[in-house]
Amino acid sequence: MSAVTEPRTTRSVWGRWWVRVLLALLLLSAVADIANTPDLLSRGAVSASLRFAVPIVLAGLGGLWAERCGVINIGLEGMMIIGTWMGAWAGFQWSPWVGVLAAVAGGAVFGAFHALMTVSFGVDQAVSGIAINVAALGLGRFLSSIFFEGQPGGGISQSPHVGQIGNVSVPGLAEALDPIASLETPVISDIAEIVIGVTTGVSLLTILAAALVFLSWWVLFRTSFGLRLRACGENPAAADSLGVNPNRMRYAALTVSGALAGLGGAFLVTVASSIYREGQVAGRGFIGLATVIFGNWMPGRLTIGALLFGFTDALRTRQETTMTALLIVGAVVFAFLTVRAIRARNRGATFAYAIAAVGLGWWFLGFGVVPSEFVGFAPHLTTLLVLSLAHQRIRPPQGIGVPYRRSEAN
Amino acid sequence: MPAPAIELRGITKRYPGVVANRDVNLRVESGTAHAVIGENGAGKSTLMNILYGMVVPDEGEILVEGTPIPMSSPADAIAAGIGMVHQHFKLADNLTVLENVILGDEPTGRAGRIDFEAARARIVELGDHYRIPIDPEALVADLSVGNRQRGEIITVLYRGARVLILDEPTSVLVPQEVDELLKNLRRLTGEGLTVIFISHKLDEVLTVADEITVMRNARTVAHTRPAEITSRELAQLMVGSELPTPEPRTVEVRSEVGLRLESVSTRGSGHETSLSDIDLTVRSGEIVGIAGVEGNGQSELIETILGLTSPVAGRVLLGTEDVTEAATSIRRRLGLSYIPQDRHREALLLDATLWENRMLGHQMHPPINRGVWIDRKAARADTEQIVADSDVRTPSIEVLASALSGGNQQKLIVGREMAGEPRVLIAAHPTRGVDVGAQAAIWTRLSAVRRAGVAVLLISADLEELIGISDRILVILRGRFVGEFDPAAIGPEDLGAAMTGADAA
Repeated sequence: MSAVTEPRTTRSVWGRWWVRVLLALLLLSAVADIANTPDLLSRGAVSASLRFAVPIVLAGLGGLWAERCGVINIGLEGMMIIGTWMGAWAGFQWSPWVGVLAAVAGGAVFGAFHALMTVSFGVDQAVSGIAINVAALGLGRFLSSIFFEGQPGGGISQSPHVGQIGNVSVPGLAEALDPIASLETPVISDIAEIVIGVTTGVSLLTILAAALVFLSWWVLFRTSFGLRLRACGENPAAADSLGVNPNRMRYAALTVSGALAGLGGAFLVTVASSIYREGQVAGRGFIGLATVIFGNWMPGRLTIGALLFGFTDALRTRQETTMTALLIVGAVVFAFLTVRAIRARNRGATFAYAIAAVGLGWWFLGFGVVPSEFVGFAPHLTTLLVLSLAHQRIRPPQGIGVPYRRSEAN
Repeated sequence: MPAPAIELRGITKRYPGVVANRDVNLRVESGTAHAVIGENGAGKSTLMNILYGMVVPDEGEILVEGTPIPMSSPADAIAAGIGMVHQHFKLADNLTVLENVILGDEPTGRAGRIDFEAARARIVELGDHYRIPIDPEALVADLSVGNRQRGEIITVLYRGARVLILDEPTSVLVPQEVDELLKNLRRLTGEGLTVIFISHKLDEVLTVADEITVMRNARTVAHTRPAEITSRELAQLMVGSELPTPEPRTVEVRSEVGLRLESVSTRGSGHETSLSDIDLTVRSGEIVGIAGVEGNGQSELIETILGLTSPVAGRVLLGTEDVTEAATSIRRRLGLSYIPQDRHREALLLDATLWENRMLGHQMHPPINRGVWIDRKAARADTEQIVADSDVRTPSIEVLASALSGGNQQKLIVGREMAGEPRVLIAAHPTRGVDVGAQAAIWTRLSAVRRAGVAVLLISADLEELIGISDRILVILRGRFVGEFDPAAIGPEDLGAAMTGADAA
């Protein structure tokens, strides 16, 4: 069935995603041993990665829905900000779940606003998106001054305390796997740790996000609504000539896009922290947009990109020493790329990759420490590197960024 | 006699400044192949778009099998059993054939889930039945042009269309694909479907059509059958017989060469026909007309001369200078001017003022340019001059270009391109879509420029224009020059025949 959405090419076993994931796991497991940083694949690191990744996944899905329908949604960041504010506002008064609903609604309204601007008024998509980001910032501060100031713990830049969304665990699994995890057998124990990490104390919103990844794929690639939506992102004139109204589809796509971004904001307020704070979104909307490209406009791969970012982000906040392990990972990856570049007879790339591999290896052996100034930037750098290396065969929707106007003349 | 499959009565469609269809009547019998022919701009495409609900007519009615049907969108047309195969295919490249075919009419199961199996079976069945086989899983981007067209035809049949409209279906195909298509059309009418197709290739029309309707100047002017008419008579019907009296040519063509192309070939990009081994000389004080059906290499020719496309073989010379590898800005500095065919896309910034538009293409030359600065005062003064000289009707040079009518926009462009004493002028469809007054003014300007010793290359689809003002006419067909004519000695019907390749030139 995947042939319907994927070009049919015979791929070697190395090209399969699960083989790659397994290889990456092997590499990380080995590195954790060599660099003596057990925290690299601990259950704590895993569940922290999830917590960092979920808002980016949701922002990414928001970007995916918009771009698959042909509209670039730079306003994701702003819609997430609205989500955080609405989540906190409704969350502290009633309950965190009401906060989640309010965040989704707020995001959806701004998504629909983006559609109004770009589809109905013909405003440039980037301009409208940036305007939404700026407006959301100001709006958050303004509304906080009205609703949060004077409340216990609230102020112009933060909200009162908001309750948390509940966690769930798979009962008994952690206890059952604990012996294996403490065996300290490479790979096996690591897998046990990872399984414990993703089954213990998982937020209900995380589960919802995972479901939304699948649901997005199903709706976009298996339903007639999704086909129409994607057709409007590829060739709106073609869709129009077959009786599908591109403008209406874009309204729908952007409303969903905004709702997903709003949900991402709600996660920040009700799971990742328990408060709305100015600057809390911190560029996650933009990172989400980047994961759309990284994921080649496919929900599953987008999620892998978000998890990668979440993983490096989580390491950063846990133990700075763990970052040094990433030096080895980087060195190995670049060594692999060097070999590939040699085989492809690409002299420039060979040279660049070799320098990177040797440089990272030398740094690890010589210093063994990543400068702390650099640590905070590591997730972005990792994403940037992976993004630039994964650029092959990227196929964006063809109608992306192009406003559609029904022309009478032809 | 059964009711005709399609009948159009008194269709009129006006656009600002132009009437695209004027009291058009068309009657298409069921189970026939009906050709609608006419020159560019005769109103064929508008008529087909009206029939497919993409354009709503101002007057007139559409009858499908004797019943008047209100058409306000393609969905109405589809519901009435009318389907359209567009000239520029309306397919999404990144989707598969299957996805394109079922789009908007998907077989769905529970919760809107698409039943891919049923869709695939249906497409294969249609392909077998009409013998138009196609791989439903293929990505449209990977298909040849002929296969894309098959995809469009299947898309239309999938919706249960009984009437197929094909807009210039053969213009993008290679000869073998044309044969295949014509065979397929015969098969469709054999199955009782009705086919309406637009064309200006007379030989094809005469082979495949059962009936022919000719359009000219937004009207239907004749209805005939292939057995009753020759291609020469058809060409005559298409272009009409009235012709302007060619003004006497009093200017001697000088010997110096303004523009020369020597054995130029281009690679051709996508749908565009490439040039093969083109030789062309335009002397100072001469207007050379290029006649041809659109898409036979005219755009490539223009782009090669301007330097937007590099030829794979041959040389381009401006005067005595070899500019084959030169940038467009250098060519312009050497005195090359260009009146583009699509003034909104290429010639003007619609949201900029007239004097700002005046600077385009001259931004590196005096009087506009002074070192690194733009001389705004000089640009304004110069624009005032052009507006006065070219009789551009405008309240001021500060208004936006979009505020002007088409004719006045074009007069401004012509004035701009005449400024700075050009040596070579490329005029592509200089009077397309402008009113009669502006047309006459532009023709006068072109003649004046010739008198001043400029070498003019006129690319046009307007045969009257070509015959009226050219000194020589070259006919371009499939990227080659296939004939040279003396405008004083040729009628439009001969020219039309040569253009369509119906007649050996």
